[in-house]
Amino acid sequence: MLVARDLRKDYPMNGETVHALRGASLTVEPGEYVALVGPSGSGKSTLLQIVGGIDTPTAGTVEILGTRLETLSDRELTRLRLTRLGFVFQRFHLLPVLTARENVELPMAEAGVKGADRRARARRLLDYVGLGHREGHRATQLSGGEMQRVAIARALANRPAVLLADEPTGELDAATGQEILDLFRRLNTDGTTLLVVTHDERLAAQAGRTVHMLDGRIVSEAAAP
Amino acid sequence: MISALCLTLALVQATEPPHPSTGIAIERAVAEQLDLGVGDTVRLGAAPESLPHLAVVSAIYEPRPDPAEVSRRSLRVRLHLPDLAAVLGAPDRVDRFGVGLLPGVTPDSAAAVLNRSAFGFRAHPSATIASESSQTFKVVSRFHRAIAVITIVASAVFLLCIMLLKVEERRLDAAVMRFVGVRRRTIFGALVLEAALIAVLGSALGAGLAFLAGAATNAYYREFFDTELIFSLITPRIVLFSVCLSLLLGVAAGALAAWRLVRTRPMALWGRA
Repeated sequence: MLVARDLRKDYPMNGETVHALRGASLTVEPGEYVALVGPSGSGKSTLLQIVGGIDTPTAGTVEILGTRLETLSDRELTRLRLTRLGFVFQRFHLLPVLTARENVELPMAEAGVKGADRRARARRLLDYVGLGHREGHRATQLSGGEMQRVAIARALANRPAVLLADEPTGELDAATGQEILDLFRRLNTDGTTLLVVTHDERLAAQAGRTVHMLDGRIVSEAAAP
Repeated sequence: MISALCLTLALVQATEPPHPSTGIAIERAVAEQLDLGVGDTVRLGAAPESLPHLAVVSAIYEPRPDPAEVSRRSLRVRLHLPDLAAVLGAPDRVDRFGVGLLPGVTPDSAAAVLNRSAFGFRAHPSATIASESSQTFKVVSRFHRAIAVITIVASAVFLLCIMLLKVEERRLDAAVMRFVGVRRRTIFGALVLEAALIAVLGSALGAGLAFLAGAATNAYYREFFDTELIFSLITPRIVLFSVCLSLLLGVAAGALAAWRLVRTRPMALWGRA
């Protein structure tokens, strides 16, 4: 489903070249739940951004569902992100002027889903993440945990092949973070493929496979017992 | 018949009965200031120290509002032409008088005929006189136009700066939208639409403020000059022009700011080039 081969990413910073990735390779199979862990600056988020098609590698290739990302135009890559990938960010990044339902509807509207269909699906997704009763509330009226659950519903809007999450519990307290962990586990049980960057040991512990990174390299992988 | 002549005369209230044939018309301001009414008797003369003539107030009139005379402080009465000549002691001397035309006669042709045949005076169409006396207002109007142009240019620059700042605030939102697969075109369209809405709302607010300021200006100067003149006039055409101009400037500023945003790579918007 997702294959990253020998990814390298260099970028200049203060006149020097930073090697964010130094030949990282990763494969994620359908239905897997993979946690990407490692210290700050180890290249986890960079790897996630590159496999998600929002950044480009200096070298190496990424293949999603058989499509090589480097062969795609900007428009095709945008379309792939819209329809095949779902993103969850540490700071939620909902549009504050929109309601919870409208935020979930946004990717569907962009994909051309008709109004009634997308409203119905947005409601189903909000029910799924436990926020059906908050669909009319603006993002600014929601708590951190609620915003993250809306963000997850938004990421699932177009039935993505893989859900990519970057520190999804990083901004949440322990109890609220646990709700997100439970939601991720339920998502995976229901068939969603997950690749999650995290510092949260609880999240890493519940993943089916944990990939450890250090200095831009994947140093070890461990499957859940 | 009361002549159209208007002269400033020395005028005081009198107690003696008037000459039966001397009737005058006074303007409302005169009536108010001197506390005169129809039927009152006044003394008339060409100078304050010489008031030999008696007259009775037979009418009080409201002069037609005239911008050229709005600041005039003198008071006016109207007399029959023979009475005026008698008061002045110069029966064959007038400064100017108006000539009414029959329907179908053009002022230009009438003036041309009079100027060919008359001696000692010159006839002018009233439109020409109005135009001559309006030169000051034309200059004022040009001055207002210049202020308007400067205001529009300054507002356009201000609007552009506001839009650029607003769009800068949206860098992260735009990055996230790009990440989740929203096209540049959609983001561009949304920002331009937002700018257009802000422009229309702003122009509606501006028009509302203009109406209020105009009403206050009119109320103050009408009271100050005791006139029915309109000092500030906001027509539907002006409002339409303002809204259209605002919309145009808003859309242009929004489009420029949005274009700057969407042509930036999402990762640069995200904070990492």
